[in-house]
Amino acid sequence: MKKIITLSLFALSLAAGSAQAAVQTIKAEVNGMVCAFCAQGIEKKLRAMSQTKDVYVNLKHKIVAVELKEGQSMSQDTVKDLVKDAGYDVTHIETVNQTAQEIKASIRKD
Amino acid sequence: MNIFRFTRRVLAWSIACTMPLAVHAAPMGFKDSWMSMGDFGPNWREVYANYAITSRDAFGVADTYMRSDDKQSTLDLTDVTYTHLLHRWNMRDAQANLWFVGGLGVARTHDDTNRMSDTRTMASPGIQFDYETTRVYLATMARMYRGREIDHDYGSVRAGFSFYETDYDETQPWFIVEARRMHELSDKTEITPMLRLVNKNYFIEAGVNNSRQARFNFMYIF
Repeated sequence: MKKIITLSLFALSLAAGSAQAAVQTIKAEVNGMVCAFCAQGIEKKLRAMSQTKDVYVNLKHKIVAVELKEGQSMSQDTVKDLVKDAGYDVTHIETVNQTAQEIKASIRKD
Repeated sequence: MNIFRFTRRVLAWSIACTMPLAVHAAPMGFKDSWMSMGDFGPNWREVYANYAITSRDAFGVADTYMRSDDKQSTLDLTDVTYTHLLHRWNMRDAQANLWFVGGLGVARTHDDTNRMSDTRTMASPGIQFDYETTRVYLATMARMYRGREIDHDYGSVRAGFSFYETDYDETQPWFIVEARRMHELSDKTEITPMLRLVNKNYFIEAGVNNSRQARFNFMYIF
């Protein structure tokens, strides 16, 4: 019985770990993004993408983060082109295993 | 486009066309967006909408009403407009832009003193430069309004600051002062201190000029 419980807990922790790893967010640093009214284009375009689950924009830290739906993919170039079309320049881009809300919370802590 | 989005667009456009001012932040939205603007005061009223076909080019229509200080002469200009971003400087903590704004249309003029009305073709090429951080805003605009025997060239300078930094989802209050001159409409330099509220969904300004006239500006992108 003990073995079954231990194995079940192990399996659950693995499942939780893989769910965490499945979170994919493309996080970009964007130059020129100083006004919410002007930057709304970035958010609107990203939210319109079928792969998008959530979007987070931070003007002070110049960050745009797009969290993807589970099992969906999006290239970093797609995000770069979309930000460029909205009139801004991407200076750094990476894919992270944090949700948009987790990125928001970590920036608020700083 | 679903009926809800269509209704929202019609509603936003209706508001744009019925409100009485001149807004000059970025004069166009992002690619594939519509932008409406209004600038309302007793002697200058402007409603304007354009569609951005690229991130640098927008075509639109505008209606501008001008009145002289003595209220004797008026001009109502309806024109098609072209807006072009000549250059943008995207810096880490700031953005600067150089814009071309031009219009070509028909002006209906009326002079109460001579009891004369006329219709003329009018061209209105202009240049705008703006610089903005999350705390500071500067802009200057020079625009010609020319037609046969008409010269209502327009010049403005705007400067302001935000009271505090805000998150992207919050409304940011600004204090803006604008000085502008309108040739052959007024001998005075109009100075208007304004409170500006900027949200990701809207941009509004309201103030009272040095002739104690109320002004109101708005911008909306959809």
